[in-house]
Amino acid sequence: MSQYSVSTQAYLKIFFHAAKHPQSSVNGVLVGKEEPSGTISIMDAIPLLHHWTSLSPMMSIGLDLAGRHAESMGLNLVGYYQACERVNDTALAPVGERVAEKLKDGFKNAVALVIDGEKLGSGEPALIPYISQGPTWRPYTGEPAAFGAGSIFQLSSPDLPRRAISLVREQDLHQKFGDFDDHLEDVTIDWLRNSACMPSDI
Amino acid sequence: MSLSSALEKLATFRTNNTRASQETFKNASIILKSAKQLGDDGWVVLEQLFLASVDIGRLDVADQCLKQLADRFPESPRVDVLTGIRMEATESADVVLQYYAQLLDADSANAAIWKRKISVLRRTGKIEKAVEELSQLLDTFYTDVDGWLELADIYTTCNQYVLALQALSHVLLLAPQNPFYALQFAETAYTANDLPLALKTFLVVVDMCERDLDSPEKKPSSGISVRAWLGVKLCSRRLMVNSSPSASNTPVPKSLNLIEELATERVLGAYSSKGSKAVQGRDVVVGWIGAR
Repeated sequence: MSQYSVSTQAYLKIFFHAAKHPQSSVNGVLVGKEEPSGTISIMDAIPLLHHWTSLSPMMSIGLDLAGRHAESMGLNLVGYYQACERVNDTALAPVGERVAEKLKDGFKNAVALVIDGEKLGSGEPALIPYISQGPTWRPYTGEPAAFGAGSIFQLSSPDLPRRAISLVREQDLHQKFGDFDDHLEDVTIDWLRNSACMPSDI
Repeated sequence: MSLSSALEKLATFRTNNTRASQETFKNASIILKSAKQLGDDGWVVLEQLFLASVDIGRLDVADQCLKQLADRFPESPRVDVLTGIRMEATESADVVLQYYAQLLDADSANAAIWKRKISVLRRTGKIEKAVEELSQLLDTFYTDVDGWLELADIYTTCNQYVLALQALSHVLLLAPQNPFYALQFAETAYTANDLPLALKTFLVVVDMCERDLDSPEKKPSSGISVRAWLGVKLCSRRLMVNSSPSASNTPVPKSLNLIEELATERVLGAYSSKGSKAVQGRDVVVGWIGAR
């Protein structure tokens, strides 16, 4: 199986998206590429929706636009992410399965990341990877467990979850974050890059 | 921050039903100690602070608020709701449901408690039971827009789009002036694969947003009308390629080509950067518009 590495930028954006809308489901796509070594590098995240995540028209436009944006940088859509408004609900929603399945057509090692609400504030990596197994998507159950030492899923730096929490709690950076839903109400919101909410060293 | 500006901000949040819990918490905390001097306004703020505290997990503050409210208003049904919400934060679903059952035994028309009960049912995965109770509630309180929206949301997450549309059509009857609800209806119709109905409703949204402008053709679209125009474009483009059946028997407009052209113009207009702040992501939108 391929290895997956989640960059600082991607992790922070996923985290900010979930932190900005604790009472809604949110979703988005992951941007990256397959390195020559075979590692899938998840370099960035593009946030899509928070109003209603199970309706398709804006999802389909947002996916198309995000795909074009990734392509313009020579990258692919390598996965999907979502967070549920219920803290303990970490199931990949039916919409998520459909989107991830569609992304798999364009990128065979596509992955889906579901945010683990219980771990969001704990300082541990708050992501549960789902991988495609035949017709369905299941949580990754291989050993060592995802994001642990030696696992095929790694964060670009181990202190990332703690850093994300402090950026949200102390600097309110998630409030500067905007997704496609926000952009559709105000087209000056830069949902594709979200550079305004990234700390200066990234 | 001064007391009066904090109060003003909180009043705006209440009027608009804004769930900005973090900010509410910040603004309201300074008021906690002086609630008694503020008169009747103070109690509303205390309730608001209570809800925000539960939302952001500051149960210690929530408990202080609840105690003050319960001392001042013993046996108030409104405080009962807050007590229930506080229990939901830490107690098991069974305990909370039992508490709600007791209150409903005493007063079966307590809509607020009934809705809490339904939300607990839904959250714990008892979807069928939640739908059943919510339908009963809406039989009793037909004009409850939030209730219909919740029902539509439950149906949508279960992929029951036709039922979701039925629930949303009640919302449109009850609140015909809200373009956001029409937008939700249009997007649900699209998801249910009723493209003519979706197209028609996206156009309704555009009409609601732009009809009061003096000369809308000269101004770029803004706000949710951009979203509605994108929906118009999406539907008309697909309908031009294939005629699609409509479960609601909505006719396809004859001037589909013109509608599609207008949608293209309006979307591109919204993305032409004339304002002071740069429009973002124009290139990808232009690419999408040009693709067939």
